[in-house]
Amino acid sequence: MTNPVNTREVILDCLLAVTKEQAFLHIVMRDVLSKYAYLDKRDRSFISRVCHGTLERMPEVDGIINQFSKVPVRKMKPVIRLILRSALYQMLYMDSVPNSAAVNEAVKLATKKGFFGLKGFVNGVLRNIDRNLDKITYPERADFEEYMEKRYSILPWMTQLWRTSMSDEKIEEIGKAFLTEGPTCVRVMVDRLDTATLKKRLEQQNITVSEHEKRPDVLYISGYDSLGAIPEFVEGLFYVQDTSSMEVATVIDPQAGEVGMDVCSAPGGKAIHAAMLMKEKENCVGNGNYGIVMARDISPKKVALIEENIARTGMDNIVVSVQDAMELDVSMVEKADFVIADLPCSGLGVLRKKPDIKYRTSLANVKELALLQQEMLRVVCQYVKPGGRLLYSTCTINRLENEDNVETFLKEHKEFTKKVQQQLLPKDGKQDGFFYCLLEKGAE
Amino acid sequence: MAIRQIRELGDEILTKKCKPIKEITPRIVELAEDMIETMYEFQGVGLAAPQVGILKRMVVIDVGDGPMVLINPEILETSGEQTGEEGCLSYPGKAGVVTRPNYVKAKAYDLDMQEYIIEGEELLARCVCHELDHLDGHMYVELAGNTIHDVVYGEEE
Repeated sequence: MTNPVNTREVILDCLLAVTKEQAFLHIVMRDVLSKYAYLDKRDRSFISRVCHGTLERMPEVDGIINQFSKVPVRKMKPVIRLILRSALYQMLYMDSVPNSAAVNEAVKLATKKGFFGLKGFVNGVLRNIDRNLDKITYPERADFEEYMEKRYSILPWMTQLWRTSMSDEKIEEIGKAFLTEGPTCVRVMVDRLDTATLKKRLEQQNITVSEHEKRPDVLYISGYDSLGAIPEFVEGLFYVQDTSSMEVATVIDPQAGEVGMDVCSAPGGKAIHAAMLMKEKENCVGNGNYGIVMARDISPKKVALIEENIARTGMDNIVVSVQDAMELDVSMVEKADFVIADLPCSGLGVLRKKPDIKYRTSLANVKELALLQQEMLRVVCQYVKPGGRLLYSTCTINRLENEDNVETFLKEHKEFTKKVQQQLLPKDGKQDGFFYCLLEKGAE
Repeated sequence: MAIRQIRELGDEILTKKCKPIKEITPRIVELAEDMIETMYEFQGVGLAAPQVGILKRMVVIDVGDGPMVLINPEILETSGEQTGEEGCLSYPGKAGVVTRPNYVKAKAYDLDMQEYIIEGEELLARCVCHELDHLDGHMYVELAGNTIHDVVYGEEE
């Protein structure tokens, strides 16, 4: 008989790829889930839940292991460390796994990975924690950085950074929101199907659907197997996008016949949204002039991603090309009615979806990014026509990259004025942290 | 020791009933050793003698607790039920969903012709059933219905 797929071994391999080889969790998950597409839904969601959760709560879990293990986590072998972390995550946060099973599987896996001698250690640490679950302690709030790290898995440098612009209460709320699981947020392509009909069609597939309180074009979905298995997704009748990102096109308010640019566009959600709004506006006029959105990104791979999404959603008023946002495209200077500059950022607003981001960023890194964004803004603002709009956005919560960058930009570019500025914070598993600022260029 | 060639689905030998082993000869010991090596080579957790073309009632199993040799095995008791993915070295690149007992108790002889009892749950139970079926000329595909599908094996480090 062949060796069946051992889900816990798959999980360990994923965690190793992320922590040791610096792979991106969402890419590792995408590859693994397509490789094991034949496993049943339960096994696949177990794999993604444990990988995601273990990385999300790693600082907390490490703190607990250190309370009970004589060997500190940082001195353990990487494989053993990850086996302990994911087993403890299952014990603490997954009701479907009996603690004894989590311990046994961890011990078996350690043996299988060649750490026969450490079998007793793995067993000992996990059983010790299991017996003393009520004795787990968390740091006092007085030591706020430590408290945020061990309670909400927010790293100390992040707390330090946020403390320069926010109260401790706000920071704690953010930490809490990142740990709140939420449904998938989708934007209905209302040019092709109305929200109520899509809701009905999804519900017929036993998908849980709920509406957004304010936005009629938004649905929250959960309980589906995979997006690729929903015909309405494949047909491009809805687009997975966070409500915060939808604000971009909404605030820009593109008009029929305008020329728009999205300079760092992949995977293309904001450009597609803007293009759709332009088509809707055209419907009111009816002169056939939709206008156009030029969606660009740095590599052919990213551009291919945009093209794939355009093909799915059937938007024909977008043109795609490879263009580095750092390099000026002279032919487009002062040609655009609006420019979307959703620039590469530290991503601290999307930790709920990409918990591994926090381990690959640092304060120094964040400062570098802020400078890069300034550089890019200097280039792309030249595309804006007199009287046109520039929308700067990031999916991060960081004064240096957001508010400070806008101030720097305005000092250098007197011709622009600030119209709207918003720092959105993550909310109950239903909204990411996101920043945007709409700037308008004076008409000569 | 040597790695033997694995017979694949369609080979008539896999449909035949195997004969009991009457005594342990050096050839039987060698066969057991080769089967274990062959099982490891192809990352299996169990292998039956007919899969390497020998119609004798012997299987080897290692589900992670070390290798076991089962000579003239017989299931004594089963209970419970488990449904899950199963694959076979004689049908590479495929797997299917098979329902098996969750607990199995069997007796068998070891390479010293000493009788012993083996019992286990989950993977071990599944594996014992799967391998013992081979000795009577049966394969899991008969039980998997239309659930047979392609699989990709993970590369071993």
